[in-house]
Amino acid sequence: MDAFFSAIAPRLVPGYARLGPDGRRRFAAIIDAALAERPAATRLQLSAFLFLLRWRSLLLHGRPLDRLPAELQDAELCHFEDSKVALFRKGFWGVRTLVFMGYYGRAEAWDEWSYRPSRAGNERLHD
Amino acid sequence: MTERFDAVVIGSGAGGGTAAKVLSPLCKDGRRVAVLEWGPKLREEEFTGRELEMAGRLYFDSGGFLTKDKSMTLAFAKAYGGSTVVYTGTSLVIPKETVTRWAVPGLEWEDLRRRSEKYAGENNVHLLGPEAINDNNRLFFDACRTLGWRAAQFPLNLKGCKGSGMCNMGCPNAAKQGTHRVQLPEAERNGVLVVTNCKVERIRPRGRGAELGVVVSSSGIGHPSLWPPGRRTIEADTVILSAGAVQSPALLLRSGFGAGLPALGRYFTAHPALILAAQHENPITNYHGHPKSYYCDHFAETDGFLLETCMYFPFTTAKSLSGFGAAHEAFVSRMDLLQMILVLALDEAERDNRVTIGPNGEPVVDYRLSPKTMRAFVSAMRASARLFFAAGARRVHAPASARFIIDKSAEMDLDTLINEGYMQTGRVAVSSAHLMGGCRMGESAADSVTDARGRVHGLPWLYVADASLFPRCSEVNPYLTVMALADRAAEAARERIASRERAAA
Repeated sequence: MDAFFSAIAPRLVPGYARLGPDGRRRFAAIIDAALAERPAATRLQLSAFLFLLRWRSLLLHGRPLDRLPAELQDAELCHFEDSKVALFRKGFWGVRTLVFMGYYGRAEAWDEWSYRPSRAGNERLHD
Repeated sequence: MTERFDAVVIGSGAGGGTAAKVLSPLCKDGRRVAVLEWGPKLREEEFTGRELEMAGRLYFDSGGFLTKDKSMTLAFAKAYGGSTVVYTGTSLVIPKETVTRWAVPGLEWEDLRRRSEKYAGENNVHLLGPEAINDNNRLFFDACRTLGWRAAQFPLNLKGCKGSGMCNMGCPNAAKQGTHRVQLPEAERNGVLVVTNCKVERIRPRGRGAELGVVVSSSGIGHPSLWPPGRRTIEADTVILSAGAVQSPALLLRSGFGAGLPALGRYFTAHPALILAAQHENPITNYHGHPKSYYCDHFAETDGFLLETCMYFPFTTAKSLSGFGAAHEAFVSRMDLLQMILVLALDEAERDNRVTIGPNGEPVVDYRLSPKTMRAFVSAMRASARLFFAAGARRVHAPASARFIIDKSAEMDLDTLINEGYMQTGRVAVSSAHLMGGCRMGESAADSVTDARGRVHGLPWLYVADASLFPRCSEVNPYLTVMALADRAAEAARERIASRERAAA
C-alpha cells in the first residue's frame, strides 16, 4: 500500500488516528488485497492520481499534501472532491473509497459503529 | 475428447436457473443438458455475512465493477444461482404499461404475467407480516402515507426468513428462494449437470449447433467443480445464454457475432441508483429484519424515479455517502441511527450506452448518465429528504448539496439546498444492481439481437434468456421478469430440440 494512504487517512476518516498497530496493518492489508485484484492499468491510474493529489499542493503551498496543516489538507481534499474536472472528482472518489474500504471493511470492528447484525435479526426487532 | 450436449445453458441466475429447470425433463428422455456457471457453489457455512469477504466470493470485481468513465459501479454476481443469491428477493410482475412501451412484436404482457405468477408461486413469494417489519421500513411507509405518496409492500421470495438483513451478501439462513434453492436443485434432480467455476470464453458455430471453449478453475472456496481445472471444448446442439446483461453481450462480442448484429451490446440500461441516508435522534431497528419491504412509485411517471427501502453494511454505506472527515464519520459510526432509501432512476434505452469488450475480451460498459437521469436524482433527493424528515429524522445526507448534510431546521429550504449544480459524477456515488439490455428483443437484426422468444437473429441454435433481452428498462425490480422471459426462451429451445428429433426420426 502506498504510505500516502495512511498519511491522508485521518483526514478522510478521523477514526483512523485511533487505530492501533493491528488495526493499521489490517487497514493496509484490505487495501492491498483490493488493489491486487484490479487490472494493472487501474493501479497505474491510481498511482498517477495519488502523485497529483500529493504534489499539487507543492505548487500552491510549498509542501506536499501530507505535510500541510490539517485545515489546508481538508481544503485541498475538498478541492478535488468538488473539482470542475471530472477526472479529479472521480480520482478522489476512488481514493476515498479505498480508504473507507480499509477502515469500514474491518468486520471485527462492527461494534464500534453500533452495527451488531445477527443471523436471527427478527428476534431483536421487538426487544 | 470433446463432450457433446443437446443443450448447454451458460449462467445459472434468474435466467439460467429457470432455463435449466424448463429443459430438465429432456434428461429423462436420455438427452444431455449442462449448465456452465462461472462462479462457485458455496457451502452453507461459507455464507458468513461479512461484507468484504462475501463481496469477494460472490460479485464480479467484489461488487466494484466500474463503468468506462468511472461514474457508476455495477453489482452483479457469479455463483451457483447467479445474482439471485445476492438480491433481496423482491418479486414484482412487470407493469402492463412497461411492456407496452417495450413494443416487442410477439411479446404480450398477459403471457409475462402468467409466467411471472407461476414462478412467484414456485419460489414462495409472499408479503411479510407486520411482526417482521423493522423501523427502517415502517418509517418509510408511514412517511409516504403522511405525505400522500403512493407506496406498496414488496412481495418477497422467502421461506423461513430470520431477518439477518444480509440478503445482499447471500442469505446465511438459506431462506431466500433464488434459483439456487428452487430451480437448479430441481434441474439437477432431473439429470441436468451443473458445472461451477466454469467460464465460457468463446462460442463458435459448428454444424447445426456450436462449439464452446471453456476454462474450469479452482477458486478455493465452495464445492469443487464437477470438472477438473483446465481448458476444454464442448459441443452443443442448442445454447441458451444467460450470463447477464454485462457478460452475455461480451461473450457474443468476443465470439465474433457483432458484425451481423449491429445492436449487440447496445441499449444497455441500469436503473442507476443512489443510496441515501438520514440520521435519527435515537436508535431504530434497521439492520435487523428484512431490509427491503416497501417501495414508492409515486414519482415514476412524472419524475422518472422509484424510492425503495434498503439497509446496507458499513463499508457500502460509507462509500455511498458523499464527503469525508468528521461529518461523514458521524453518520457512518452510528449505523443504529440510520434510515436508508434506495433511489432508482428509470433510465432511457440509448443506443450509445453499451457493452463493448476490451483488448483481452473482458466486458467494458460504456454508459453515460443522461441529463434526464441527473434531474431525476435531484428530484429524488428532495423527495427523500422530505420523506426522512416526515419520518422523524434530525438530519439527512443529500449528495447534491454543498456539504452534504442538511439539518431538520433547514427543511423548508430543501429545493434550494439540493440542486443540480452539485449533482456531479464522482462527487455523488452512483451504483446499479439492475443491469438490463445489450441483447434486446425485437423484430430484426437491424435494431435488435433476438426475437420475442429470445432466439438470436440468424442463429437458430442460440437463445438468450436473461435481463439482456430487455429492450428498455423494466421500471420495477427485474428478476421475476427475467424468469418469465427465460421460461419463454427455454420453452422455445425445448420445442426446437423436440422438432429436430422428430425430423430426424
